[in-house]
Amino acid sequence: MSDRTVTLEPIASIAKAPLQEQYVSGHRTCAGCGPALAYRLIAKAAGKNTIFIGPTGCMYVANTSYMCVPWTVPWMHAQITNGGSIASGIEAAYQVMMRKGKYDGDFPNIIVMAGDGGTADIGLQAISGAMYRNHDILVVSYDNESYANTGIQASSMTPYGSATSFTPPGITVPEGEKFWPKDITAMIYYGHPMVKYVAQASIAYPIDLMNKVRKALNKKGSAFIHVHTACPKGWRFDSSKTVDVAKLAIQTGMWVNYEIDEGKKTLDHVPTKREPVEKYLKTQGRFNHLRPEDVQKIQQFVDGKVAEA
Amino acid sequence: MSLPNISKEKQLPEGCIVDSPTTEQDHMTTGGWRVLRSVIDYGKCTKCKTCWISCPDAAIKVDENGDVNINLKYCKGCGICASVCPVGAIARIPELDFEDVSVYRELPF
Amino acid sequence: MMKGKKKFIAGTAAVAEAAMLANVDVISAYPIRPYTGLMVDLSKKVADGKLDAEFVHADSEHSQLSIVHGASASGARTMTGSAGVGVTYAFETYSPISGGRCPVQMVVADRTLDPPGDFGSEHSDVLCARDQGWIMGWAETPQEAFDNTLIYYRLGEDQRVSLPQFNCQDGYFVSHIPGEVVVPEKSQVAEFLPPYKLAKPLDPRKPYGHGPQIFSDQGPALQLQRAIVMNQAKEIIPEVLSDFNKVFGRKYDSYIENYNPNDADVCLFVNGAHSQTVRYAIANLKAQGVNVALCRIRFVRPWATEEIAEVLSQYKAVGVVETNNSFGVAGQAGVFTPEVAATLYSLPENKRPMLMSFMAGLSGEVIRLNDIYFMAKKLVQAADRKKIEKPVYWIGFEEN
Repeated sequence: MSDRTVTLEPIASIAKAPLQEQYVSGHRTCAGCGPALAYRLIAKAAGKNTIFIGPTGCMYVANTSYMCVPWTVPWMHAQITNGGSIASGIEAAYQVMMRKGKYDGDFPNIIVMAGDGGTADIGLQAISGAMYRNHDILVVSYDNESYANTGIQASSMTPYGSATSFTPPGITVPEGEKFWPKDITAMIYYGHPMVKYVAQASIAYPIDLMNKVRKALNKKGSAFIHVHTACPKGWRFDSSKTVDVAKLAIQTGMWVNYEIDEGKKTLDHVPTKREPVEKYLKTQGRFNHLRPEDVQKIQQFVDGKVAEA
Repeated sequence: MSLPNISKEKQLPEGCIVDSPTTEQDHMTTGGWRVLRSVIDYGKCTKCKTCWISCPDAAIKVDENGDVNINLKYCKGCGICASVCPVGAIARIPELDFEDVSVYRELPF
Repeated sequence: MMKGKKKFIAGTAAVAEAAMLANVDVISAYPIRPYTGLMVDLSKKVADGKLDAEFVHADSEHSQLSIVHGASASGARTMTGSAGVGVTYAFETYSPISGGRCPVQMVVADRTLDPPGDFGSEHSDVLCARDQGWIMGWAETPQEAFDNTLIYYRLGEDQRVSLPQFNCQDGYFVSHIPGEVVVPEKSQVAEFLPPYKLAKPLDPRKPYGHGPQIFSDQGPALQLQRAIVMNQAKEIIPEVLSDFNKVFGRKYDSYIENYNPNDADVCLFVNGAHSQTVRYAIANLKAQGVNVALCRIRFVRPWATEEIAEVLSQYKAVGVVETNNSFGVAGQAGVFTPEVAATLYSLPENKRPMLMSFMAGLSGEVIRLNDIYFMAKKLVQAADRKKIEKPVYWIGFEEN
């Protein structure tokens, strides 16, 4: 691993957050886009010495339409399949170029911004390979709980009971999405012995997200952050409610912020009084079709997850 | 056999590799998307910058005095800033109510 | 001129030697017969400190290609490789790498695709990718495999080209059978091959965006751009080979080797190692009073239509040897027949040789001297009768 690295300091508060933008205005993401907000915060936290890898998805197509990029730092398109491997190659190149004296800068932050599909489905193999080899990279999964860019289709991170265009509720499948989502953060952490840092974060807590990014980047070796990014278009709520919906997810236990750092697990933003999941579900049109028994199943699932956390 | 040349007007960056922006992408203005415009009541504003940090489009700027200003060139009118403002200092007003509405209605395509 | 050590090594070992001398930076490995030996050799060279490179254990062929894609875009000279279904598994990556103009080198020791998936050589695996915008050619011998490694880096990395390369060799016949290889000195390699320098790499000190989404009306210019640089590659091949000869003292034909020692007026069009057998056959056939020439294609991509047409126009009949499949293809033979036909069609009618095809060596079967004699006799017969008996023969299944 290279020695010429920069240590990023923690950010104390919004007041102390860096003003400089690395993800600038002028991109065709939806009004109120949760993933775009996450991208802005992550880019801000990472700073100038960064290379982003963008597998195909909303954060590729919407951001780079057309023939332009909104990042002030180097960025490379990856296929939805291979964000993890493209990043591995960039990292390997920098390791050897620095060793051979072909590059005299500091070792860059190398960050993959993959959607939930590009993380847990089609991109899983490449990410797992990268984590196994412990490349000095950060993989971020921006989770809007669907293949949003192609018109909101179910992914393996779509919550049980979601309506998507591959899981429309109907007589044969009244709940819509009938599968329960993969726990990708646990899969990454418990399955890859060399990964020392994983975290779950949310756009509801921007400073926490930025600090987790900085912590992950300061680590030598692979790190993984799973970010909950509410999606007004896919989840069907007014564009102004993006941050509110993300907060409600945490208040109801539908999303949990935590980090596992060198084996130590810390839960973040644990609600003092956890709200019933129904409060979260009724804010979004994708859950409108749910029957009381479906809501109950979801409540039981969340109760179980919280109990074992 | 010779291939045609690509004229200067039709030429595109080799390998689809483009320059990175420095501060904004001003050929991709999105202010024209707005249906509701967010307006800050500076009497109520406490300069907490919660709106600034919550804008997906970096369309809120902080000036030397610490005041926040909405950049109407890019603001899509999503209204997140109005929702997250802890003191309710931001109102959403129909865009068509404003006299300067047409100025930002240029679309890149 | 012929400095260096003589080694008796097979094709994959030869490529490993060349990669070491080329000071390759990033290698991505994944095992599949019959190319694996390349990576085994490279891993040993890295482990022993003879080659300073990142040897990355990829999780699949698709990842192998993606790893070298990212590395090449960052400024590293790269090598990867595969065979058979490994080549087709990585298929998604080929156009992005070529369109992204990253000059990665992929070594293919070809292998029959599944089914039957036997370990024998067939050219189909990588020929499937001939439309993807990569330089592509086969080595006949381990020496040529060594030389092609350096030649392809030099050609692909040239900033007038900047295209990836498929450095191919017949599985088993070249990858495993040792031959004499003159391994030059490091100083000679440095003279021939400049250090790798990409025009606009991923570098935080000078940022660029690689590969944004485009709109349809932006597409045609990008496609034409790639066609232009592929043509550029064709144009500079002679210059590269001339330099190669100056530095290493080995001369190669640019686009097609025309081996006609007995003044034959028919030829066999061959790709790869089976040319060795044809050379012996030519000598033996002379005694029988049958003369045939060997036209060995050196670059499948870029295909030098005019230059190849000129060579083939000397002959009355051309027999394309197809060690590949393309079920349902025009001409009902393999992949090369329509390409040769299009090439011949560029000639005026009165200069156009007759064309026939021989499906031979499929699935790694040896093409025997007797098979070549059969092909030669059919060609000579056609030339004499001024017409072909039939367009396609499947060697081993014909009656006589």
